[in-house]
Amino acid sequence: MKKYKIADIVFEAETKYAYTGKLCEEFVYTGEEKPAFSAVITDSDVERERKGLNAPEPLLESIALQRKFCEYVLKNGNGTIFHSSAVAYKGEAYLFTAPSGTGKSTHTRLWKEMLGDKLTYIDDDKPIIRYIDGEFYVYGTPWNGKHRLGGNVKAKLKCVCKIYQAKENSITKAEIPEMIGVVFNQTLRPEQAEDMEKLLSLTDKLLTKSNLYALGCNISREAAELSFKTMTGEKIC
Amino acid sequence: MLKLKEGLILREVAGSYVVVAVGKAAAEFNAMITLNETGAFLWKALEKGATEESLTEALLDEYEVDRKTASADVKDFIEKIKEAKILK
Repeated sequence: MKKYKIADIVFEAETKYAYTGKLCEEFVYTGEEKPAFSAVITDSDVERERKGLNAPEPLLESIALQRKFCEYVLKNGNGTIFHSSAVAYKGEAYLFTAPSGTGKSTHTRLWKEMLGDKLTYIDDDKPIIRYIDGEFYVYGTPWNGKHRLGGNVKAKLKCVCKIYQAKENSITKAEIPEMIGVVFNQTLRPEQAEDMEKLLSLTDKLLTKSNLYALGCNISREAAELSFKTMTGEKIC
Repeated sequence: MLKLKEGLILREVAGSYVVVAVGKAAAEFNAMITLNETGAFLWKALEKGATEESLTEALLDEYEVDRKTASADVKDFIEKIKEAKILK
């Protein structure tokens, strides 16, 4: 079995398809640390994913691996996958979240165009967030979206920003009640009651300890400038 | 008699009340319902099984409200959980 390290967790995985191996290439681990767990993807794991998504088997296998990894992180690592586009600026992570199709990736692309090399993609689709020693950290995963933006990167969380489409750009500090559903709906939901308790407690910490923003935006450089200035407190250079 | 489906849990998250599904119920219902304090109170009453009338009475016992307001609150609440399809 091959060893990987994702979100600071070393594990080993047995998969069938080259696709999954290629996807996880950047996360291959060659160090001495013992794997925390083994993920063996069986045919029934793949079938389970097929119920939710009609896709080629290699892709389903990679999603099954994602689920196994997430289950482990939630149970043992105080973490969850958080559907969002995550970028790092000066070593701090900014998470843009919204239902699919709203424009998360579009907005981070505008940040990238504006900031160039100063901006690092953590994960454009499915970063992992973990709560460790009183702080949230954001990690890149192999499941970083169709444009493959991201990598084996880690950064401390600075802001969580909800995005919605609007004609005029505006940004406000978001209140916790309006963010609960937004945040919770972007996580991978566990079935077991004890794991759900963990996810809810993680959600509680994320909401009470983070800087929360709500950004109404169109697709323009002005939108990116507004969110950047507000969340970093910096001017555009 | 109004009865909730099994596997729904009410929890307080970051100062708000939320309802989520666990176990088999999670397959059908994977959203999150948020409730205010009155909603959470009614939910707890409903967990034991209740009727629209008994919920209104419970609200009148617990809070200083008039019957008209209590009845309207209960109607809103029932409407909300019916929409979420979580009644048996």
